[in-house]
Formats: sequence, C-alpha cells, structure tokens
Amino acid sequence: MATTVTKLEKLVGKRVRRREDPRLITGTAMYVEDVKLPDLHHAAIFRSPHGAANIRSIDVSKALALPGVVAVYTGKDILGVGSVVCAADLPGLRKPVHHILAQDRVYFVGHAVAVVIAKDRYIAADGADLIEVDWAPTQAVTDPEKALAAGAPAVHPEWPDNTAFVFDQKGGDYAAAAASAEVVLRQRIISQRLVPNAMETRGVVADWKAADRSLTVWTSTQIPHLARSILAGQLGLDENRVRVIAPEVGGGFGSKLNVYPEEALMGFVSMKLNKPVKWIESRRENFQTTIHGRGHVDYLEIAANRDGTILGLKLKLIQDLGAYHQLLTPAIPTLSVLMMPGLYKFRNIEAQVIGVFTNAVPTDAYRGAGRPEATHGIERMVDILAAELKMDPAELRYKNFAGKDDFPFLTATGLTYDSGDYAATLDVALEKIDYKGLRKEQAKARAEGRYMGIGISTYGELCAFGPSPATPAGGWESATVKVEPSGKVTVMTGCSPHGQGQETSFAQIAADELGVPIDDILVLHGDTAIVQYGIGTFGSRNTAVGGAALHYALQDIRDKAKKFGAKMLDADAETVILEDGHCTDPKTGNSVTFQQIAAAAYRGNIIPTGSEPGLVATRFWEPSNFAYPYGAHIIVSEVDPETGQITIKRYMAVDDIGNIINPLLVDGQLHGGVAQGLGQALWEHGVYDDNGQLVTGEFMDYTMPRARMMPWVESAHTITPSPVNPLGAKGVGEAGTIGSTPAMVNSVVDALSPLGVRHIDMPMTSEKIWKLIHGSKA
Amino acid sequence: MKVAGTAQLPFPPERAYDLMQDPAALQKAIPGCNSLERTGDDEYKLSLKMVLASLSGQFEGKVLLTDHNRPYSFKMLVEGSGKIGFVKGEGVLSLMLLDGGTEVAYEGEAQIGGSIASVGQRLIDTTSKLLVKRFFKKLAKIGSGETDAAEDEA
Repeated sequence: MATTVTKLEKLVGKRVRRREDPRLITGTAMYVEDVKLPDLHHAAIFRSPHGAANIRSIDVSKALALPGVVAVYTGKDILGVGSVVCAADLPGLRKPVHHILAQDRVYFVGHAVAVVIAKDRYIAADGADLIEVDWAPTQAVTDPEKALAAGAPAVHPEWPDNTAFVFDQKGGDYAAAAASAEVVLRQRIISQRLVPNAMETRGVVADWKAADRSLTVWTSTQIPHLARSILAGQLGLDENRVRVIAPEVGGGFGSKLNVYPEEALMGFVSMKLNKPVKWIESRRENFQTTIHGRGHVDYLEIAANRDGTILGLKLKLIQDLGAYHQLLTPAIPTLSVLMMPGLYKFRNIEAQVIGVFTNAVPTDAYRGAGRPEATHGIERMVDILAAELKMDPAELRYKNFAGKDDFPFLTATGLTYDSGDYAATLDVALEKIDYKGLRKEQAKARAEGRYMGIGISTYGELCAFGPSPATPAGGWESATVKVEPSGKVTVMTGCSPHGQGQETSFAQIAADELGVPIDDILVLHGDTAIVQYGIGTFGSRNTAVGGAALHYALQDIRDKAKKFGAKMLDADAETVILEDGHCTDPKTGNSVTFQQIAAAAYRGNIIPTGSEPGLVATRFWEPSNFAYPYGAHIIVSEVDPETGQITIKRYMAVDDIGNIINPLLVDGQLHGGVAQGLGQALWEHGVYDDNGQLVTGEFMDYTMPRARMMPWVESAHTITPSPVNPLGAKGVGEAGTIGSTPAMVNSVVDALSPLGVRHIDMPMTSEKIWKLIHGSKA
Repeated sequence: MKVAGTAQLPFPPERAYDLMQDPAALQKAIPGCNSLERTGDDEYKLSLKMVLASLSGQFEGKVLLTDHNRPYSFKMLVEGSGKIGFVKGEGVLSLMLLDGGTEVAYEGEAQIGGSIASVGQRLIDTTSKLLVKRFFKKLAKIGSGETDAAEDEA
C-alpha cells in the first residue's frame, strides 16, 4: 500500500475567491423574498404616521370589504402573543412592554398598528390604505437632551422623566487625577443617528402546519437559533417544532441581530389562517422601523499633564434609545464605556450613561455597536489635547500607548486586552504614508492658503464576542464536521454569516486540516433544522469564535480518522501521520487515503477499540476572553474653502486583526467598514423633526456613500496573533468602521485648525464646513 | 415648518376678503381641489389631490376660519389627512390696500407627517410656495372675472 503522496497547497492565508459569489452574481441565490409556497398569502402593515398619539378607535371594515383581503388584525387580536424581547439587562432598567401591534397608543412613526392579509401583496397594501384610525396626537420628543429636560413630553406616561436607566462605571480615581492635572479639556461630541440600510430589507415568511404543530419561519436574520427560541416563547410553541431558516441574508450590520415584531406577527397570522404568509419590508418601512445605530451625545473631559501624559477621562453619555428596547438596545452604550480607554494606559475613568426614551425607532447594534462612538470620543479628545499642548498627535499617542510588554493589559475599565504592539503598528502607518514628508507638504500648503489636513486614529476594539458571562445570550459558538462515506465533508456552523464569506474561509480551514480539496467541502449554516445550535453572527465573532469551534471539531475528526487509519494499516494510532489527505504509517510508509478511511468508518467492518462507526464531530467552544484587534488609520484630506467640499487625498489603513485566514475577505470587510465609517463622518444622518417625523426617510434625503465618493484604501497589516483562540484570529468585521470615522474628523479639523477650529460634529457636510470657514472669516 | 409670504391681487381688500370665504371661488383656486363645501358658519370640508415627489394621493380635510376682521385679516386653520400623510396648520392672512389692489400677507406654521414628511421632505418647502403662488394667481383671475378653462394645471 505504499503510495506517493502529493503535497496539497495550504489554503489558510491565501486569497481564495469567495465560493458564495457564483450564486450571488448569477441571481440564483435565495432570499426570503424568493420563498414561494402553495397558497402563499401576503401581509401589509398599517403603521403610525404620528410620533406620539393615542388611538381612539380603529375601523378596519373598509379594508375587510376589499375583494382579496382575507383578514385584518389589530392590537386587541394579538394579546396572546408575547411582546418583543430585550435580552439586555442593567440594574434598574425600565423595559416598556412593546406588543407586536400597538395597543391604545403609538410612540414612534412606523409603529405597527394593524396587519392586512390578502391574496397578493398589492391588495394587502391597498387594504392597509383603507384602515381608518381616529388619532389623538400628542406632543412628541425626539432630541434626547430635550427629553431629559423638565416638563418634556413623556414617551411612556409611566416614566415622565424619560429615563430608562442610569449606568455608572468608575476605574481608578478620576476626580483626584483631574485635580492634579495640569490640563483639563472638555468637549461635547455627537455621534449621530445612522440608518443601517442593509441592501436586503427585512422579510419574513411563516408557514404553520397544524397537523404537526410545527412552524417554519424564513427570516432575514443574523441569529436564527436565538430567533427560534424567542419566537417559540412568544407564540407558545415547542422549540423543536419551530424551524427558523435564514436563507441568503443581504447584509445586516447588526440591524438583523434582532427579533422584530413582524416575525412573531407572521407566525401568529399563519397559525390563525392555517396558510403560509409573507411580509417583505419596503425601503420606507426599513428607514422607519428597523433599528438605527449610534445616537450619542457625549460630554467628554480629558485630564493630562503638559508633557502629554494622559491621566484620565470622564464621560457623560446621553444615549438616544428610541421608544422601546430592541434585543440589545440598552447594552450598546455600556460597550462604549468599556472601550473608552482606547489603546492608552491611563488608569482613571469615570463614566455615566443616561439611557433616554425618545419618540423614535430604537437604536441598537450597528456595525461597531458602541465601540465606534467610544473610539471617536477618545481619538477626538487625544487630538484636542495634542492641539492644546501644541504637540504632534502621533507623538502624543506614542507617549500614552500601552506598551508591547504590558500584555495581557488590564484597562482602566477592567478589560484584559489579549495582545498587541500599538507603537509598531503606528510606525508602519506613519512610514508607509511618509508622515514627516506630509507635515512638510502641509506647511507648504498652508503657506499657499490651502487647507490640508492629516488625521490619525489609533483605534482599538473589543470583538470576537465573547465569553458567555459577558454576553446577554451566550457567547460560545458551535461547529459540526460531518465526513460523508465518500469522504466529502459537510461543515455546519452555528454562526450565520450574512455576506462575510465563511463558506469560503471555513472551507479553507477544513481543507487544510483534513487534507481534502476545497471543492469537497460544503459549509452549511442558517437553518435550525440542519445546524446543531448556534449563537449567530455579530461582534466580529465568526472566525475567532465559530472558526475556533470548527478547529476543535476538525481535531476530533483527525483523531478518529487516525484511529481508523491505524487499524486499517495495522499500525499504532499514536504514531500514524494524517497529512495531505493520507494516513501514513511512518514505519512502513504504507498509507490509506482519507476517503478510504471515511468509507471504512461507515462500512463498520473494522472498528478500532474504543471507537465507533461514523465520522462526525460536534464542538461547542467557549472563549475565555474577547479578542482586541487594533490599528492605525491615517487620512490626508484637503478642504476647498470656496465650496466646503472635502477631498480625501490618501487613506492608509494598517490593521492588526491577528492571523488572517483569507486576505481577500479581510480586504472586503475593511473596504465596506471604511465606507460606512466615512459615511458617518461625512454624509449620513438620521434626522427626526420635533414632531417625531423621520425627515430622512429615503435615499434622496439620507446620503449613502457611493462608490465614486470612496478613496483608494492603502492597506497593510501587522500581525500579533490572539492567544485566546487556536486560530490566533481577532476579527475584522467592524475594524474599518471604527478606525475610519475619527481619522476623517481629525483630518478635517487638522485642515481647518489655522482658522481656530477645534472640533466639528458629524456629518461634516459641505454646507457645514462652508459655514464654518466663512463664519470664522466674518 | 413656517409658511410666510405675500401675494398681490388686482382688486380691493373687500373683494379679496369675500372671495377667500366663497366656497366656489376657493374650490377653483385651490390647486388640486375637487370638492369644497361649507359645513358650518366658518367651516369647510374639502377634498384635494396632492402630488409630491413620487407620492400622490387624495387628501380629505377641513378648514376653519376665525378671528374675522373684514377686510383686514382672518385666521385659517387647516387639517387634512390621506394615505400619504397628514397636514395640520394655522396661519393669519392680512390684507392691505396697495395701489388700488390688495397685498395679502400670510404667516403661519404647518405640521406635516406620514410619508410626505419622510419622502418628500426636501420638496415640501418649494412645493408649498409654488402651490400658494398658484392659488393667488388663480384667485386673481377669478376675482377679475377672467375665465380660464384651459388652465387647470394643478
């Protein structure tokens, strides 16, 4: 049986093209909207046009009379269905009961009031137009600071102060640090409301089979298993008779890390009518009813000595929560508090978060979830301090970085950063962009009256969520590796990718470990009837946590394969080598292929002692800590004083995300993240007027970044592997969003600093910049 | 949203004032109005079609006139709603004799909600100015006895 073994190319670390793309670019991928079932009914939802109003009465008779309309349900019909779940908890947290349809009042524009079911979508929409509600509008409040003022309208009458919670965290002694500091600087910094805008809006299909007491729900979600548990609870069904399928999910960015009213509502309707029913969210509904991100007003104070040593940071964070809590709403600003120290070693911190109800759609996790706001805060304050001290912002950062020998590094907020060398990463960024040369160029530009800016952001982030005690619903992840009798390999992962490309990167990992061609591997996810269990995708966790679970399941497969191989070769399982798809006895040189082993394992004729037939392994892996990627982003910009237009001249991103499985996927994640971060810095803003109307309710009024507005991103990496997981990966899903925003603002503030500009709130629209320039000249 | 401006009518304030309380004249002058009837002393019910950006829809509403000070001023309260949203507003119209004609100064505030607020936001300001302009232009013609069957452009 001696064989020549061909060395297989290792795939981890290679730019393997996305295996997901052929179906996406040929239009054959299946999204929720593509689900077609016999006798499928369609739902349209009648929503509140008011920010705050009491419902005197609802008349659905005209809607019901419309030919083709099958049923209409309102708040009184759904009282048996559980309300929307918030998994986050904080001491003293006030949780409004948010029914899946409004009861006697509405508290934000878009609040679902009634659902119309019809034979087709158009009739359902026409039916919804015929619903008549006798409204008694009341005064709304949408600005969180105004909501806190005495006499403000109460979003929920039972809590007239509009305060959902107050959360305090301290580390060290900030008051003493500030008292001894030579410089104390304050700044109010806004991190504005953003609309996540996944390319695919939400959508739900629910199919009740009464005879089996089983409900199948297709939903565009990041968390199919959690959605199943929550839906079963809301509808009073057995968890094992609810199947949730997240088919192709066209983006989420955290907005689909939620279980919304419509999911239980479609389940309810399907159960009532004994028919499958579909609801697809329109883009206008998406703007109004899918969570928004950010929504901070931060009052920051930094204490330092004149030599640049940062002594401490104080934060009062006013979080615009919106009208009710979605899955994690109140937890998001607490992540901002945790990441306040950034990459710096100061020990004193004092933070207070005030969670405020407003008549608006809830805020919740949006790409970065709390960390972009924190990073923006600290990175802006560092630049403000540098300006005050007339110190180079890079130098100030070097002076305060946690050192490379300080790891594991315990931060002022009690986190333990896993690994890093912050100075080395900034070195690379400064050298690659020729920072010294740029400063000379800037001096020349200023002499010519041009406004050129160089903005640095050295961001840190908390990701690879996470240890279970630190997450609201479990932070582990699972993987099953099922080797089929032919030796083909099926991987089932509990994380539910929605565009990140784990069907490719997980196949790379499995191919390397098992020595099989990547084409032999199929990665399945997003179906609770197929996947063992899982937490889902968020917090840059798929590779670092889901990939780690996969790694360990693959080790189990390797161990068992070696036992079978040894038995087949009449060799010792301890000494056989499993490599390049062959199990070889080093003594004889004899080998069997991985495929032969798989066949034998299922044939069952020979079973190694203490083993059993089959070749399947499942692992649930619990991380001991988060992982902490970091990086240095530098933006060179120029501002045209005539128009206020900002031009990005260069964008340098040096990111340390630990080991890289697939650089192509990493580039994609970074580019998308940078686009969203620049979107916040320059253009995007979800605006409510004082009456609770969302006035940026479509793409004509809400500026999404376009391809032509993006700079060329020069990218490089330093690599300090994470010791937390066996892959050494840290996570890259949110890095670009977190690093880019403060770099952009710092760059423009730097450009305009000759005019005495110290801070600019986002978005930095041309209009705002023009007014700033011309106001300061006047 | 604040609404304010002035308009000229080529006849004296008394005539202008009366026209602005005359259901038949108003129905013709209000852009898109397909019915307007008096329901009380100073109350009118109206129905009009509104087009804004990608939206169009029927509005049902009522108008209340108060604080009569003929021919100098009156106050107008408007409330309307339809599939595409709702409008609520009030304003004061002041009439002044100017070169034998009338200058109407209007000032008020309007609240807009529903789809027209979120989708048509950027157009509301210019559209409302345009509609007001059309209203007075038409009213000027009606008051001057001109017939203009061809000009139903709203």
